[in-house]
Amino acid sequence: MTRITGGLIDRGTSLSFTFDGKTYSGHPGDTLASALLANGVRLMGRSFKYHRPRGVFAAGSEEPNAMVELREGARREPNTRATVAELYEGLVAKSQNRVGPLSCDVLAVNDVLSPFFAAGFYYKTFMWPRAFWEKLYEPVIRRAAGLGQLSMQADPDDYDSGFLHCDLLVIGGGAAGLAAALTAGRAGARVLLADEDFRLGGRLLSERDPLGGIPAVDWIAGLEAELDSLPNVRILRRTTVFGAYDHGIYGAVERVADHLKTPGAQVRQSLWRITAKRTVLAAGATERHIPFADNDRPGIMLAGAMRSYANRWAVTPQAHAADPVAIFTNNDDGHRTALDLMAQDVPVLGVIDTRSDAPKLGDYTLFPDATVTGSKGRLGLTQIQITRAGQSTWVDCAALGVSGGWNPNVHLTSHHRGRLVWDAATQSFLPGPGGPEGMHVAGAAAGRGQTGLALADGAKAAVAALAQIGMSASLPELPAPEATADILTLYWHVPSKKRAWVDFQNDVTVKDIALAHQENMRPVEHLKRWTTLGMATDQGKTANVTALAVMAELSGKSIPETGTTIFRPPYTGVAISTLGGGDSGDSFRPRRLTPTHSWAAARGAVFTEVGAWMRAQYYPQTGETHWRQTVDREAKAVRAGVGLCDVTTLGKIDVQGADATTFLNRVYANMMGTLKVGRVRYGLMLREDGFLYDDGTCARLAEDHYVVTTTTGNAGLVYRNLEFARQCMWPELDVHLISTTDAWAQLAVAGPNARSLLSRIVDDFDLSNDAFPFMACSTLTICNGLRARLFRISFSGELAYELAVPARYGNAVMQRLAEQGADLGVTPYGIEALSVLRIEKGHAAGAELNGQTTADMIGLGMMVSRKKDSIGAVMSRRDGLAQDSRRMVGLQPVEPTHTVTPGAHLFAQGDPQDMAHDQGWITSACYSPHVGSSIGLGFLLQGDNRMGEIVIAANPLAGETTQLRIVPSHFVDPEGERLRA
Amino acid sequence: MPDLTPLTALGHDQPQSVTYGNLTMGDCPDLALASLTLRRDAPVPLPFGLDLPGPGGYVASAEVAAIWTGPRQWMIEAKAKGCTDFAAQVKAQAPDAIVTEQTDGWAAFDITSPDGAAIGRLLEKLVNIDPGTVSPGTASRTSLHHMNVLLVRPDPCCLRIWVGRSFAGSLWHAVIGAAARQAA
Amino acid sequence: MLIPHPLLGLRDAEEFVYLGDASLMQRPDPDSPTALTDFCDYVFLRDNPAGVHRELWFHEQGDRSWLVVTRNTLTHEILGAELATDAARPTVTQEPSA
Repeated sequence: MTRITGGLIDRGTSLSFTFDGKTYSGHPGDTLASALLANGVRLMGRSFKYHRPRGVFAAGSEEPNAMVELREGARREPNTRATVAELYEGLVAKSQNRVGPLSCDVLAVNDVLSPFFAAGFYYKTFMWPRAFWEKLYEPVIRRAAGLGQLSMQADPDDYDSGFLHCDLLVIGGGAAGLAAALTAGRAGARVLLADEDFRLGGRLLSERDPLGGIPAVDWIAGLEAELDSLPNVRILRRTTVFGAYDHGIYGAVERVADHLKTPGAQVRQSLWRITAKRTVLAAGATERHIPFADNDRPGIMLAGAMRSYANRWAVTPQAHAADPVAIFTNNDDGHRTALDLMAQDVPVLGVIDTRSDAPKLGDYTLFPDATVTGSKGRLGLTQIQITRAGQSTWVDCAALGVSGGWNPNVHLTSHHRGRLVWDAATQSFLPGPGGPEGMHVAGAAAGRGQTGLALADGAKAAVAALAQIGMSASLPELPAPEATADILTLYWHVPSKKRAWVDFQNDVTVKDIALAHQENMRPVEHLKRWTTLGMATDQGKTANVTALAVMAELSGKSIPETGTTIFRPPYTGVAISTLGGGDSGDSFRPRRLTPTHSWAAARGAVFTEVGAWMRAQYYPQTGETHWRQTVDREAKAVRAGVGLCDVTTLGKIDVQGADATTFLNRVYANMMGTLKVGRVRYGLMLREDGFLYDDGTCARLAEDHYVVTTTTGNAGLVYRNLEFARQCMWPELDVHLISTTDAWAQLAVAGPNARSLLSRIVDDFDLSNDAFPFMACSTLTICNGLRARLFRISFSGELAYELAVPARYGNAVMQRLAEQGADLGVTPYGIEALSVLRIEKGHAAGAELNGQTTADMIGLGMMVSRKKDSIGAVMSRRDGLAQDSRRMVGLQPVEPTHTVTPGAHLFAQGDPQDMAHDQGWITSACYSPHVGSSIGLGFLLQGDNRMGEIVIAANPLAGETTQLRIVPSHFVDPEGERLRA
Repeated sequence: MPDLTPLTALGHDQPQSVTYGNLTMGDCPDLALASLTLRRDAPVPLPFGLDLPGPGGYVASAEVAAIWTGPRQWMIEAKAKGCTDFAAQVKAQAPDAIVTEQTDGWAAFDITSPDGAAIGRLLEKLVNIDPGTVSPGTASRTSLHHMNVLLVRPDPCCLRIWVGRSFAGSLWHAVIGAAARQAA
Repeated sequence: MLIPHPLLGLRDAEEFVYLGDASLMQRPDPDSPTALTDFCDYVFLRDNPAGVHRELWFHEQGDRSWLVVTRNTLTHEILGAELATDAARPTVTQEPSA
């Protein structure tokens, strides 16, 4: 145990947890990493490529090494950083990327073979033979070079998403962020303060310095209490703002229940889309390390992290409290860690400082102008080599803190391609021009990380940000601890012939960068891709700047000349479940139910998705063992008696206004201006390029009132296009559109007994052929006074009507029709039978109107009026369309037992079956109970002149060919006598 | 009266009601709706005495309300008229306007709470509209879980969501799911 | 992105459907002797500038207005938005005829 005194942990409560099956104990306030360190566990994982032993390197979300599989079963979550996993009772974690025990990983052989695994190894080695790519190389590489494993089970937890709006979003709850939130909160602005940690304070929690004369923790608590009391301030703890998007929109993940064993009734995580008028980015800074030979052993970590563990979590990183600790630094901040450790009686063997003028800030051994040039210890650090003036000495050392200065966390400033600029004064990249509009950067993220500077900076940023949106705020009184001179002399890496790690998570070393340089992969983008630097789950937070500095050194260029890559969202990884926002399974997307859904469900209907709609596909009856039996029965029943089908899903658009007629004449290819009140006409709509795009009916209910129907799938699109025509092309027309699709339940009543059936429910309405002929429409009442609309239109080719009633009555009317028609053979039918009926009748539907066909091709070219202009009319007459000789035909197998296969292509008999001889294709096919064989519709060159000819349908995918006879597309009632009966 | 039993948009013969914490949700099949659109250059009528609101506005009297839905277009909403031909009644009030029956084109859901702030928190999980702007007197048309909705706030303790009737089941699922999580 | 709706203020772009170049509002004269060429250009040729662009957005989840939005396609800065009906009217010469 290496627990020391102090810290922000609740020692009164113990939490038990397991790591690799062994049980340990920690306290509330611990992370998994701090709790493992407290139990003397330093080895936490294996590296990505070489399977080197690894331990904790950092104390926050930048951690590259200590990644574990957290939780068990379906909740198992690989690649979880132990440094941000909050400890809870019963936590279960396992190390990952190992074969065998963690201490004896078989794949550690990769480390011995490392000369073969240098940068670009995969690109060069696994080029051939090509057949090995997927079968051998990829599985083996994925197994060896992996991270944790997924559970392969569905995520059992709930997630959700939401939207937040604020005047000021403050990203980061450290000194600068707290000051910004306080300033804006007191000014009455609506403030959101988001911090990724479970406790506000940021870096302040890791320091021993008092604030305003009291311990920093108490100062934070006071400020937090004030923020909590302000109704206009909202604090989002455990919330990472991961991306900056256009116009002040930010993405954030709130880890609502990650700190609990199971979420219970809560969501596990929430995805927030934040719309902020202004933003203060106070994301702090991440410490740099200094690569040296074998610098990746457990026990070597960032000096600032070492200080965090000691001060916030009261643990030290050695396995035993008496083991010596050392610091390797190029700046004064490293020395502060030594002082803080000494204040806790941790044995500090000395501070190794690269500077010749290194200050000595306390009672420790100082090694100025010295470097660490090596380390020993198979599963954890035991010795370091200190080199000074050419003299090297090995000394016992159980833990080494490394400090190479601090990199401001500028990631979000470059999500809009904002350029970073190298700042010589702070020796770091700072936010440059082109950052997100409205974002103000403050504190350590802006290179002003000392507590006093950061506090003042955050407050000033808030004042400036609010001023831009017309709000005035005044600077609060804040503690102003004295700034210390922090002199940093750039020192990027200790040269060595051995490997010195730059990017721990992806196992990229200084040698790999040198190799990339040697192979001319010098621009940072190439360097990154060749070496995979910064491409691991940590996105190189502790590696990128150091790597490009090394590249700059190798190429003899300055750091600004070498440049940086662009940071992109997300700042830290976001689970797919979270991005999904919680909608999965049946609620993955909204479903639309028809007004007769309950009735159909009660009748055992099988439903299918048609766009967002759930439609009855067919209604199986007892004894029917195959869907075809059901569909055949339903289709036959319509032709013999009467069928009922819910067709509510067809789009309905109410068109009214003085110029409604003119408008419809312009949007339909055929003439609508001559349609009489009380009549319906079939209409074709073209795209402006002359191709067909939708068909439907247009009913004229009154002089200036029409109801237009669209296909189910195009309802939204047609409405949008009609609004475009109305608002953008012809705004002078007095015409108004509104969708009424959902308002009316529309039921098709089709079959020779349709009139008899309807006559039993209408109130005093003359349904005779003379009074209400084919293509008539009318309003009426049914069932003793229910207002309704009746259209005599037919998709099936039978005597048919569509009856519309207010949607709430649809179910009852369907039921009434079914009851009343028992003696007439009434049969509900689904969209499978609907499709059979329309193919038998040769009616074009979605498969024919696929956006590549013309009115001529479906045999309706004469409908495109030349007497008037309409959308698409001019272009429909261009040569390429007008001369297309493909025509819709009916197709019937020569051998009646053969099947017509949709998608098959058509060839003349004897022709080679290739592209050059392709004469058309089959669009729709079904078994026709009326014909007694499979039938189909298709497009064929000169099809209208080839009746009776036999062609070959080729289905090369299945290696099938079938002889088909070309027949008229009307398989049923070609003269249309039935529908006019 | 027709001898037929109407169904609510949720497929029941009675409205549903669910309570989670201090939020109560239910559907309102008794509300009637009709769209009212002004013809070119037509004067603005005063249906049922309502002063038709401007963009984003909602105006209500004891029994009737007007919701702005687009330029020169409103929805007129009425209590206890769900089963009547409300469009005809609106037409009688504004004979020169274009009126279309919408009662069953949409379905209304009321979310009530003694704590208006609880409704605001629920809204955060449902729509990308600043809850502060969804206040009495405003109407917002937006997207909720990919469904088009009209939001009105008859009073601070009630949020009404109008959604296309065929989406009612999915909307109900989204709303009560969010409310249950909020209460958790 | 946020679209400054001329009637409703800033609204999230997710409420809108994007169409593209606002030149689509200038439908050619179908009776012109060059109608076929004009329509070919109208249908198939669009400007796609890297910079300021006038483009059409439909407020499908909102008030069903078509807007003409002037946007810098490089920076996503939005320089203005107006109702298409307002943008369309001055250039219209055709009168309604039944």
